[in-house]
Amino acid sequence: MIILHGAFVQTSFYLWGEIPVESSVPGATRTRRKPKDKGVRPNTLPYDAGAAAVLKKLLEAGLDLADHDEPTTNLFLSIPTVGALALSSSPLIASPPESTEGASLQVWAVGSARVQPEDAVGVLCRCVDKELLAPGLVVGKDLAFWAAAMRFAAAIVARQQFLPNLIENGAGYRACWEPILTGADYDRALKLARAMPHVCRAAALAPGPPPEVDPVSLFSDFIGFIVNYLVRPAPSDASEKPNRSRSSHARKQQVDSIHDRWLIALSSKDGVMSGEPDELKLLARQIAEWRRPIAISNSAPFRLCFRLEEPGDNLDSDTSDSGQADAENVEAVATNVNGVRWKLRYLLQDVADPSLLVPAKLAWAGGGKASPFKSRNFNAAEYLLSSLGQASTLCPRIENSLRAAAPDGCELDSTGAHEFLTEKAWLLEQAGFTILLPAWWTRKGTKLRLAARAVVKSPKLQGGGGLSLDQIVEFDWEASLGGEAISLEELQMLAKLKSPLVKYRGQWVQLNADEIQEALGFWNERSGGRASVRDLVKMSLGAGSAGELVSVETVTADGWIGDLLNQLDGRAAYEEQAIPGGLLATLRPYQLRGYSWLSFLRTWGLGACLADDMGLGKTVQVLTLIQKEWETGSRQPVLVICPTSVVGNWQKEAERFTPQLPVTVHHGIGRRKGGAFKKEAAKHALVISSYSLLHRDVEVLKEVDWRGVVLDEAQNVKNAETKQSKAARSLNAGYRLALTGTPVENNVGDLWSIMEFLNPGLLGSQSEFKRKFYLPIQTSSDPTAAKRLRRLTEPFILRRLKTDKTIISDLPDKMEMKVFCTLTKEQASLYAAVVNEATRELEESEGIKRKGVVLATLSKLKQVCNHPAQFLGDNSAIPNRSGKLARLTEMIEEILEIEERALIFTQFREMGEIIRKHLQETFGREVLFLHGGVTKKNRDQMVERFQTANNAPSIFILSLKAGGTGLNLTQANHVFHFDRWWNPAVENQATDRAFRIGQVKNVQVHKYLCAGTLEEKIDEMIERKKGIASAVVGAGEQWLTELSTDELKELFALGRDAAVE
Amino acid sequence: MSDWYRDSYRRFPPKSTPRQAKGGIKAQSKQGGFGKSWWAKRWISVLETFNIGSRLSRGRSYARRGQVVSIDIDTGVVQAAVQGSRSAPYQVKIAMATLTDGDGEKLGRALASQALFAAKLLANEMPQDIETVFQASSLSLFPERLGDLKTECSCPDWSNPCKHVAAVYYLLGEEFDRDPFLIFKLRGLDREKLVGLIGSPGRDAHGAEAPTGALSAASSMRPEPITTDVSGFWHGAELSEELSGVDLQSPPVTAPLLKRLGSFPFWRSDQRFADVFEPIYERASLQAMKVFVGELPKSGR
Repeated sequence: MIILHGAFVQTSFYLWGEIPVESSVPGATRTRRKPKDKGVRPNTLPYDAGAAAVLKKLLEAGLDLADHDEPTTNLFLSIPTVGALALSSSPLIASPPESTEGASLQVWAVGSARVQPEDAVGVLCRCVDKELLAPGLVVGKDLAFWAAAMRFAAAIVARQQFLPNLIENGAGYRACWEPILTGADYDRALKLARAMPHVCRAAALAPGPPPEVDPVSLFSDFIGFIVNYLVRPAPSDASEKPNRSRSSHARKQQVDSIHDRWLIALSSKDGVMSGEPDELKLLARQIAEWRRPIAISNSAPFRLCFRLEEPGDNLDSDTSDSGQADAENVEAVATNVNGVRWKLRYLLQDVADPSLLVPAKLAWAGGGKASPFKSRNFNAAEYLLSSLGQASTLCPRIENSLRAAAPDGCELDSTGAHEFLTEKAWLLEQAGFTILLPAWWTRKGTKLRLAARAVVKSPKLQGGGGLSLDQIVEFDWEASLGGEAISLEELQMLAKLKSPLVKYRGQWVQLNADEIQEALGFWNERSGGRASVRDLVKMSLGAGSAGELVSVETVTADGWIGDLLNQLDGRAAYEEQAIPGGLLATLRPYQLRGYSWLSFLRTWGLGACLADDMGLGKTVQVLTLIQKEWETGSRQPVLVICPTSVVGNWQKEAERFTPQLPVTVHHGIGRRKGGAFKKEAAKHALVISSYSLLHRDVEVLKEVDWRGVVLDEAQNVKNAETKQSKAARSLNAGYRLALTGTPVENNVGDLWSIMEFLNPGLLGSQSEFKRKFYLPIQTSSDPTAAKRLRRLTEPFILRRLKTDKTIISDLPDKMEMKVFCTLTKEQASLYAAVVNEATRELEESEGIKRKGVVLATLSKLKQVCNHPAQFLGDNSAIPNRSGKLARLTEMIEEILEIEERALIFTQFREMGEIIRKHLQETFGREVLFLHGGVTKKNRDQMVERFQTANNAPSIFILSLKAGGTGLNLTQANHVFHFDRWWNPAVENQATDRAFRIGQVKNVQVHKYLCAGTLEEKIDEMIERKKGIASAVVGAGEQWLTELSTDELKELFALGRDAAVE
Repeated sequence: MSDWYRDSYRRFPPKSTPRQAKGGIKAQSKQGGFGKSWWAKRWISVLETFNIGSRLSRGRSYARRGQVVSIDIDTGVVQAAVQGSRSAPYQVKIAMATLTDGDGEKLGRALASQALFAAKLLANEMPQDIETVFQASSLSLFPERLGDLKTECSCPDWSNPCKHVAAVYYLLGEEFDRDPFLIFKLRGLDREKLVGLIGSPGRDAHGAEAPTGALSAASSMRPEPITTDVSGFWHGAELSEELSGVDLQSPPVTAPLLKRLGSFPFWRSDQRFADVFEPIYERASLQAMKVFVGELPKSGR
């Protein structure tokens, strides 16, 4: 594991890394010499990963910084140090000392790689919003900070807020590009700079006292660095098209001009500009003079602010009082509207305290008695004059007001106000002025304008079962304004006003002449439309337009189409379905609702995404649906695709809840292909397979007409480009379901792929989706985009949280679930080897020795089920070798995503280490581990942190012996029993660490079992014996040694369904 | 050829080919008339009443070819060097009568009656009816007669103004496009003085040193010392929503800042100022947009 860090020192970006120290007392031996003595080279940081290791890890993560032939650069970091122990950035590297009192800054050396700007940007791009670049490569908080700063700089460049400059830096002149930060950008930049982790400014290229770098100037240098990289043409661009058609003569001449040389320097890599000092100095002065107007407005402590004020209150009361008489009043309102004056008021806003607004009237007079200007040596009048001058070129309507000696605002008619709202406000804001608009305008998504409504004529019901989304129906258009229907007469009257902003029934609405014409056209041509019900569904969810300009607001219909639309929109409840008789489970009320919702969408052939929280029983809701269809006579199979690690679980749950359904697993080397598979599938209600086979066997799977296709853990297809996503989309199915426990609706980037599987075409093509939703939402450039997307997808996603009041009332406080895992091939063969050996030894031994063999074998088999590396004890690689660990990792990911906390119990300290190492590498987060070797003080500290700290680790591993009793860990609401202690009392006691007084959430207990192994069989035995007093079972596992050899053989034997690979 | 013929026929000195000037000032106007704004046109129209024949067109082509090597504008006088056919550039001088202090004050009072005048001037625009203000004070902003201008040139042409003077004059016109304040400067009223006159009276004008407006201005000379607190040192403050509000729309016009500032004073490149810079802005904006949404700047290296 490496924690990746970034340093920006003297215009270059450096990457360096921390690795964990292996010794249990960090730094004790390696840092004995104090790095304090002057003249002595500082010691190397004990956690220094070294540049080579950092670059190698980046390469593994797909970041090739290959042209890196430079040797390692030593960076000297002033790091808080206690005694001789440097404090690491994270407990992942070294556990912190018991007290950090008396920490002082000491210089430590680290090996770093100086990276080219494009590589720095490449790495930072990957770091945005990530905690982890790849397993085992953690993004340091400083690097995350630089990534945020880089995005900030990119936004500035995207908006073209930068200017060329020429600056003297002691050694000579350098041409460069500078970001121009105005208004809100400037404020944001300062805020960002102040959030900078101090380590960012603790780096130097030579040993010495801690650097005195101001965060703001370092931040400013860094964004300058990024801006220059983004603006200077890439070297390849420049060399590809040398001097196009220009003659060498012209080129020579071109280079002679100082301005040409400036241009060349501006696009060169280092920006160095040579020439006579006098000449360069003159140029630099001219550039400063040229940029002066912008510099003046940017450096002012006040900012010109425009506030649009709507016409006086009298108009408001006029219309809102009249109520019913509105229609007749349109004309009356009209006269008012056109005669009415809006006021655009000029104010000065304090940059340091944006809530302080000084009216221009006061500012012209010098700011009044307690002038906020004088103390800051601010010439308000000059600033007002030059700002208003600039604003008047952007917005000519301002100009008239400047005929007065001391203008305090300007009056606008409704056309002017509309122009200001829709166009000028943005321009002025971009130029750095503050804009204050009426709340009804800025409220997101409430831009009231003309819209169309489709009114569906009740379709004739065709005899029997003719209800289909593909049915074509006729409909009429209607116009609406501000959410209310508007008659033809009213619309014609409004058209006559020729005013873009009209107060209609008490609210301001936007009117556009072209839109009115289009809407009038609907009436004149008496044109309605014809569309399939499927298109009407899309239209009603906001993905349709009535013509070129007018968008569709609603679709109204009666009859079955009306019911369908209302149910989709959530305005009407869908019918509650009867529970099929063959279901051996009692559905909780919310599960019944979920099942009913699934069958409602299924009836219409619409895809559904069930995204309930982990533990709410998604599988059983789907099984109920499948059972129901089976009972109503369907004999077409349903395909379930899930991660390999849950194949066994699906099988077990189907056995348990829907034992009548014939189920088959399509997996393993012996799996059927072609016609044989088709035949096999036809015999079953449910075919379970995995994502890895989905794309390998897609040709086989495509051959079957599936009644339904279910994707479990559907985040596996979130990337539309992967083979498995494409394969999933290519399957033939009557209905499609996606299951996931992660909040898909929050991740816009992943939504398209899942939705395209569920309801092809709903979100448009991938590029349309990117243009209409993804980019506007990512860049917050269109506040309505997120809302439109939600409206469009909401009907197809059902997500219930355990914390929902309506859900929680149905839930017991403690839920125990068995999680059936599968063995990997390696585990299965190790298991078989242990069983073979045990069988032989059992036959040869007796008495105490036999007991010993039984207990040793039990232990070995448990270890194999846990992880081959634990069994072999060889410190070998961890990933992809254990079914249990794979499943645990998936579930922990979901828990981290919804920000809950978990306890993981194991009886083996070695397994605890393996789990900890793996989870830390995978998620880059600290994982606590309490075992017998932990001191009492440390243990108390861990518990204290877990229970109270704000950003405490979310995962706590405990060895059953050290942590099974006494502790209070109620912050966790998930308890995992990774391996089993065959004694329910001991397990329950452990579970009670979380499930006790103080627990405010439901507790979920996940008991891990490898299907087909002794784990499953012993579990069954215990279930059978539950009624018998626990004394029979005893306190330990001794009772197992009492079993006969045959019973033991039976117990150890590996079942067929143990491994699915 | 015909030009030369006509020139010699009229017994003007024979046309000489000027030496190529290195890095001279090149007019942004490549053909047709000089000056886009009404006030630049107004300035140039004065020259064109002087009846100096083909020297006007020669002056224009000198201005476009970059024969003018330097221009210095000072109160009441413009000094310039123009590369002619001789090895050393000719020295050109254009002088205008400056306003007296009394005239200045009178003017200031008139201009202060409307915020528009100062506002427009400070935004680098000449207010439309500024001339009426001058007239009301019996003054004039632009030269009206030959006598209002004193021109000199070290070239051997007996005509004054000569083509060298004309070249400088044209370039001045283009400069006025950009910065109308220059006309006032010529008349003896620089920016500070003018602002002092028409802004609120008795107030200090900004110092000569232009403020940078850069972020670094907010940095402190004595930064907060590096902390020994683990969290502050390694993690910094929460970044939360700092960036979510960033608006990423590309501007409705390319390079709005450049448009606001106008072309660079006395631009000396072959390529027009806007032609050089606008593509840079467009390309950079696209590139930055990609980086913002996390698309790597380079792939498959």
